[in-house]
Amino acid sequence: MEKTYTERIQIHKTNKLAGLYPSVKLLVVVLYTVCTFVLGTVHFTRVDLSLLLIPWFLVIPILCASSGALGKCVKALKAVALIALIILLVQTFLVPGGEVLVRFGFLRICEKGLKTAVSLSFMIMNIAGIFVWLFQTTENKEIARALEESGMNYKAAYVFTSTLQMIDILSENSKTIMNAQKARGVETEGNMIVRAKAFFPSLVPLILGAVIGSEERVLTLEARGFSIQGEKTHLFNLEKSGAEKTAAAAAVMITILIIAGRIALWVL
Amino acid sequence: MGAVIECKNVTYSYPLAKEPAIKDLSLEIERGKFYGVVGENGSGKTTFCALLRGFAPSFYKGELKGEVLVEGKKTTDYGGELSAKIGYVFQNPFTQISGVKDTVFEEVAYGLENFGIPAEEIERRVVEVMQMTDIEALAMKSPFDLSGGQMQRVALASVIVLEPDILIIDEPTSQLDPEGTESVFAIIKTLKEKQKTIILVEHKIDLIAEYADEVLVFKDGQVIAAGDKRKILSDMSLLEKGASLPQVAVLGSMLKERGLPLSEIPVTEKQAIEVIARALEERKKQ
Amino acid sequence: MEQKKYSIKEDFSMLALLIIPVGVAVNFVGGQLASILKLPMYLDTIGTIFAAMLCGPWVGAVAGGLTNIVTGIANPVNFAFIPVNVLAGLVTGFLARRKMFSVWWKWIISMLVMAAVSIISSAPIVVLVYGGVTGGGTSIITAAAMAAGANIWAAFFGTEGIFTVLDRIISFVICWLVIKVIPPRTLVKFGCGSNYIKESK
Repeated sequence: MEKTYTERIQIHKTNKLAGLYPSVKLLVVVLYTVCTFVLGTVHFTRVDLSLLLIPWFLVIPILCASSGALGKCVKALKAVALIALIILLVQTFLVPGGEVLVRFGFLRICEKGLKTAVSLSFMIMNIAGIFVWLFQTTENKEIARALEESGMNYKAAYVFTSTLQMIDILSENSKTIMNAQKARGVETEGNMIVRAKAFFPSLVPLILGAVIGSEERVLTLEARGFSIQGEKTHLFNLEKSGAEKTAAAAAVMITILIIAGRIALWVL
Repeated sequence: MGAVIECKNVTYSYPLAKEPAIKDLSLEIERGKFYGVVGENGSGKTTFCALLRGFAPSFYKGELKGEVLVEGKKTTDYGGELSAKIGYVFQNPFTQISGVKDTVFEEVAYGLENFGIPAEEIERRVVEVMQMTDIEALAMKSPFDLSGGQMQRVALASVIVLEPDILIIDEPTSQLDPEGTESVFAIIKTLKEKQKTIILVEHKIDLIAEYADEVLVFKDGQVIAAGDKRKILSDMSLLEKGASLPQVAVLGSMLKERGLPLSEIPVTEKQAIEVIARALEERKKQ
Repeated sequence: MEQKKYSIKEDFSMLALLIIPVGVAVNFVGGQLASILKLPMYLDTIGTIFAAMLCGPWVGAVAGGLTNIVTGIANPVNFAFIPVNVLAGLVTGFLARRKMFSVWWKWIISMLVMAAVSIISSAPIVVLVYGGVTGGGTSIITAAAMAAGANIWAAFFGTEGIFTVLDRIISFVICWLVIKVIPPRTLVKFGCGSNYIKESK
């Protein structure tokens, strides 16, 4: 028998980690962030480097790979990695303060710089990394549905989902408008003032069109019963992968162990 | 068959406007009839539609005198439930999507979700409407990847699926190519067969002549002529008032003036062929 | 003239709700366009300013915050800057309510206030969370200044300051050009819209 359309719009995931219920994923993200901060307080070597953050970061690629989304996550992490790298380099080589550790030519590495370089860049990589995992394994539709299920007002959920679509639409439209303006002779290359001037004819019609469109959109929504009070039906529903309890328990256990370890280090 | 919508001495002005957009309008819309609304741009047709649906004054603000009654209740006293009674389709096909759905199927289902209809019933009704509007092949496509004509059919489907008794359709084809126009009118024809009350604003007068029962002619915020389409569309005095009439009607009236004994002035092509053929036949006999 | 009353609930009318996604998307597109045209500014708060100018501070704040949440999905670093964008929306919205965009000298004051708020609110985040470097275009200049021995705070304020003011001027002019061509009939539906309609006598 042919599948119903309602059946066809559902999201089925075979991977148990990627298919975790969004709220469980969020729990993992929060606990991972807590662990990152706890581990960041453990210092090693003479200059107190937060070295534990480096092996801890290995959790991210492992998690992404076992969720079957390594490629996507690496791609998304590139932007973050670039920022982390710049921070690492700038802080290591440029920030003065404390003892000078190494010196070659005009470059020197100071104690304070190296310390913040390591903790800052890996802190960013860790926290950003876990969010990347969350967002790369969860579709926007699932996030929106989860928000609504967690008691968010339907209007707020609408704004969230519609924002994601609006970004796509306006990006498309801006390309069309920019090409049209280029065809009409608006310069997009040259010195900075020329380029800055090109900014206006590209953006003004875009915003204006969107505003006028919103007016009609309000009436469309009204005509579709947007503001009717009462229970709404949801054709799209979130699914559980079955590994929710195990995943949550594992995340809580690891967090407890790490916190216990940290306290033990203080006491001992 | 009673009046389903009544306008009583309605005068309405948009905010900041010096002149009212609708002036002292009184009329009745009867259940199950198809009304064609014609008139020049800015003559008040769209405002009239917005008044019937209650968008004016609730959304457009402005000042309303007199009353608009839908099934005996003032539009200003309705809340969201008016959307169950009156379906509304706009000119621009591209602004009539919810903006939150990924597929045409979900887009059409959106209104029913808001009404809290059970999922199995939604599936059944949406499939039925998609077949009627000939968009089932697009069901799993993104609403943003459609042509204007396809989009307008999706917009119609999204409204029809709510099964309103009254449909207000405001220039649905003004931004469509001939093919898109034809597909939209095929749907409107089916709606007429289902005995829906239809109020259609349309510039293409030949289409009005073919499908409508009654015609309302607007000028400067007032209805200058209203009644059976054969009577209105063959009234040559309206031409002087700036209304456009079907070409066959103008031709027919000229032929009649020149002495061809037409039994009536035709308003559609089909009718013209019949009437003129009959007249020529009679002339031969004489 | 009678003072207009505002309520948060009325601020979030249906139209305002739909302007929020537009604002966020405009922020996004503006930022993209600025980088395509290789401009040394971010120009990624135009939508926030626009939403705030039309619908007031609360809608502006939501548009601002949501921008960083949504772009944070792709690049989580943006989460840290949520307060900056929220504040930009709030300040612009309050200025709009006070009719601080009506004559040229008020424009100048408003723009300086907006630029100042942006710098003051982003400085601590950039310096404390990222050590003064965000990876954007002006970061290199900041880094160079730091290498030359300038204080990290001074380096940040000096380089960011000029470009932030320029950024706000361009953003504001764009919003103004759009608002000027929106028909008055549409403008009155926005919370602060009537402030931009010339009263006809």
